[in-house]
Amino acid sequence: MQHDLELISVGKTYSDGTVAVSNFDLKVAKGEFVAFLGPSGCGKSTTLRMIAGFEDITEGEVMMMGRNVTHLPPEKRPTSMIFQNYALFPHMTVRQNVAFGLDVKGMAKAERNRKVDRILDMFDLEPYADRKADRLSGGQRQRIALARGLVVEPEILLLDEPLGALDANLRRIIQNELKLLQRELGITFVFVTHAQSEALGLSDRVVVMSNGVVEQISPPRELYRRPATPFVADFIGSNTILRGRSVGTDGPAFGRIDTAVGLIDGVGPAGATMAVIPAEAFRIQPQHTPGEVHLPGTLSARRLVGAVGHLKVRLADDTEIAVEIGADRPEVRALQIGAPVTLGVDPASVTLIQA
Amino acid sequence: MESRILRPTLGLYAAAFLLFLYGPMIVLTILSFQGPEGGPQFPVQDWSLYWYKQLLGLSEASRVAQLPVGDSLLRSITLAFMTTVVSTVLGVMSAEAFRTRFKGSGPAFYLIILGMMVPGVLVGLGMALLSSTLGISRAWWGTSFVLHVVYTYPFAFLVMLAIFNRFDRTVEEAALSLGVSPAQTFRRVTFPIIFPGVLSAMLFSFTLSYDEFARTLFTAGRDLTLPLAIYGTFSVEIHPNIFAFGVLTTLFSFTLLVIYGLLMKRFTNRAARFAGQEDNG
Repeated sequence: MQHDLELISVGKTYSDGTVAVSNFDLKVAKGEFVAFLGPSGCGKSTTLRMIAGFEDITEGEVMMMGRNVTHLPPEKRPTSMIFQNYALFPHMTVRQNVAFGLDVKGMAKAERNRKVDRILDMFDLEPYADRKADRLSGGQRQRIALARGLVVEPEILLLDEPLGALDANLRRIIQNELKLLQRELGITFVFVTHAQSEALGLSDRVVVMSNGVVEQISPPRELYRRPATPFVADFIGSNTILRGRSVGTDGPAFGRIDTAVGLIDGVGPAGATMAVIPAEAFRIQPQHTPGEVHLPGTLSARRLVGAVGHLKVRLADDTEIAVEIGADRPEVRALQIGAPVTLGVDPASVTLIQA
Repeated sequence: MESRILRPTLGLYAAAFLLFLYGPMIVLTILSFQGPEGGPQFPVQDWSLYWYKQLLGLSEASRVAQLPVGDSLLRSITLAFMTTVVSTVLGVMSAEAFRTRFKGSGPAFYLIILGMMVPGVLVGLGMALLSSTLGISRAWWGTSFVLHVVYTYPFAFLVMLAIFNRFDRTVEEAALSLGVSPAQTFRRVTFPIIFPGVLSAMLFSFTLSYDEFARTLFTAGRDLTLPLAIYGTFSVEIHPNIFAFGVLTTLFSFTLLVIYGLLMKRFTNRAARFAGQEDNG
């Protein structure tokens, strides 16, 4: 099967020997929405810029539509890039900005106008078509940038923190627009962000990066449910991480580790030494249920936010763990600070990983 | 308390500054309206436009020879224009090169800057010696021209360096990613945005070359440029026609500045918009 975008052990080492990205492998199918997620400086933007052609690729290869583009300049790649600061041309009107790509390519005027009109209409920009971009809001400017990038009909749209400069409300609106747009156009999107909610809410798959290395490539739900590395377990969602040593397996998929707070069963490979439990997987357990993981402790903090109760429970070894639980349950409402509680977890929602 | 001393002091300073800045020009302007019998000093005998007429060859039979500035004026303007074009083109190109660090960029930077640091008399003399050694005849359009470029190019370069320093590269990247070639990107995106800087670089190059003296003195050969020609008349005798000429050239420079200001205003409005692009998102 041919992929729209394929990165084969792509890496970037600067001339002074600093490694920015190493061994990046990724296959992106046509029409897929992929997000690169990670803390700042993790190499996600560098990777995007290598895909766009703005950064030299020092190791590995990049293929697009089955063609090797590793050493092609940006203008010869079937990509279009959207920037955080919009990067609009300040000396042009909105229409000129959008028409620029087609204009330079020498497209006939009639056809160009038709395409530009259509895309301006799609982004609700016709009322501003003859204005300079400066009088428009951030959201409108980013729409202009999107229109400008999409009108040249790229195979792959690259977005470098496109919502980073917008306020929270606008960000949500444009997020929705982006998702709809991507579905409608069927274009491959590669999206860089450091905001979890954006990556998890928008994309089909998320690439989590840290220190120039890919930590995990998974659909958003999978990232939550089955983090593959300690970094992902710590970075995504709100997980409790308990370290221990492997004490054999229980069935083909289940393993068991011995921690300071007792034996914990979970899903993972043999030899795992770390149990990852999502905060929302815990239950307050009035009685002992066979087959469940039990963690006794005392309630050290309780905060009810709407329908969700955020609890802190101190375990026997003094580690404090975060628990999210439905606040309307009577056993939650009855809890007093300092009271002993027993937490129960279904082993199927515990992930064991190798540290 | 502090401002009671500080304010008058600063006021006095500003007044003195303005006096010394404009005083010479004001004196020159007043004396340029001297009557036909008057000399190059006060008192003014009677007010007239005599020396302006004399300068333009409109007065019959003067006791003073006409100022030999016609040809040299043309030469100086031509030379300044040539210098402006070459220095600005070089300045833009090399500043563009300095946007990315390249091997030897440090030494290259200081080599360029050296052109405006070294004393003009020495360079002029050196050039004269060099050309006579190599058997090249000296001329304002040759040896002087080269030195004018060496002198003004660093100014144009520094202006453009400052402009590129504040230039948002993503605008160019946006154009490239739309499939626009680097040449077209420069022509249609980069150049319009840096144009105010180019204008400043041109203004610098022009004015520096137009009244350059030391470097030209030794290298111009037989045909003199304007500053040399004027200096030549000084060494004989000074008449108020020189003041009249000074007023006219000042007006010429002023016209250039006004044109520059108008063009600049058009483009800084644009630049302000550009800068505003990053904030208020």
